[in-house]
Amino acid sequence: MKLKQVISTFLLFLFVAIGFGQEVELSQQESEELRTNIKLQSESKNTIKSEFVQLKHLDFLSNDIESSGMLYYKSPNSIKWEYQKPFKYSATFLGDKLYINDAGKKSDLDLSSNKAFKSLNSLVVRSVKGDLFDATEFEITYFKTAQNYSVHFVPKDKKLHAFISEFVIGFSKTTFDVISVKMFENTEDYTLLIFKNQEFNNPISDAVFTN
Amino acid sequence: MRYLLISLCLLMVGCSSYPKKNNFEAIETNHLTSLNPYFSNPDLDYIYKAQISIKENNFGGILIIKKINMQEHRVVFTTEIGNKIFDFSYIGNEFKVNSILADMDKKILINLLKKDFKVLIEENPQIENSYTANGYSIIQADIYKNNHYYFFKENSLEKVVKTKNGKENTSFIFSAIDTNIAKNIQILHNKIKLEITLRKI
Repeated sequence: MKLKQVISTFLLFLFVAIGFGQEVELSQQESEELRTNIKLQSESKNTIKSEFVQLKHLDFLSNDIESSGMLYYKSPNSIKWEYQKPFKYSATFLGDKLYINDAGKKSDLDLSSNKAFKSLNSLVVRSVKGDLFDATEFEITYFKTAQNYSVHFVPKDKKLHAFISEFVIGFSKTTFDVISVKMFENTEDYTLLIFKNQEFNNPISDAVFTN
Repeated sequence: MRYLLISLCLLMVGCSSYPKKNNFEAIETNHLTSLNPYFSNPDLDYIYKAQISIKENNFGGILIIKKINMQEHRVVFTTEIGNKIFDFSYIGNEFKVNSILADMDKKILINLLKKDFKVLIEENPQIENSYTANGYSIIQADIYKNNHYYFFKENSLEKVVKTKNGKENTSFIFSAIDTNIAKNIQILHNKIKLEITLRKI
């Protein structure tokens, strides 16, 4: 073996080792324990209020597009994304309707006829709650990193797969709360939501969800 | 016969050229730099909050434009929440749809968007004529075989008007201009009730 080949083989092994070093797949028993803990946490949540930072990564851009705001969730299916920076915009999903307030311009959309949008929204709600564990819908794999758990969900439905090829949800190792949701559109482009200062089960007025 | 002549005259007035109708004064072309600098820097990501109103309907999103290299621009529209609605590439004279939501995958709509965004990214269209009027220096150029009039004030591009049969068809208005960046852009269609408002973020 020539020196060049030895070095490149060594480098290849090094990169593979580093790559796998970040995420370690859980054993079946560990996965089951994690799933149980997350389900218990998820089911106990009637309201969620959280700050969020959103990073939109498109492979061809020099920088990710950053936005931030507040997320409100109230059981069973009210959710409001309120973007505050760098623009004012809110999307409120209430039952079968989507209410939009785009810097004062208000509109609404009936989602009952739009199956793709409806199922996408239900997935976002469920991912925020950490409740995507349906093996009939997803190929699910469980990993841990030094700081967190990370669960990968690959949609089995082809139509959904065209929108989102994979969800990667980060869970706290101590509280089992959802701390991040990463939605891949394809192998390069994704949207990453990072949640901060979360409050659970504090009362949220219905007025929050009026447009 | 008289009616025929009158109607012919009316038709001729109706079809007279846009410069004639607007009393443009022809001058010698002397424009050396690119006509439109607003999406020409490959080091920048051009990100705009977009509001689109079609008839009575409003919807918004994020418009992302990037000059990939000297030949190529990428134009992507996403929802605020991040899902891609469409993704176009302009490579030289070619246009490619990389992806588009099934609901919007209609030839007439793609064609309209293709033409609108081409005006935004085209830096050096074929120059046909030059004029002055109302304190503007005006350059007539050709994009996709339609006349486009570029209105400059103090060397700053303020407006592009696309005409069809001598009439204004679409206006592109650039304002809040700061060193080759137009912070506000409005695209107004005359024939269809379509308005696109872009605000730099």
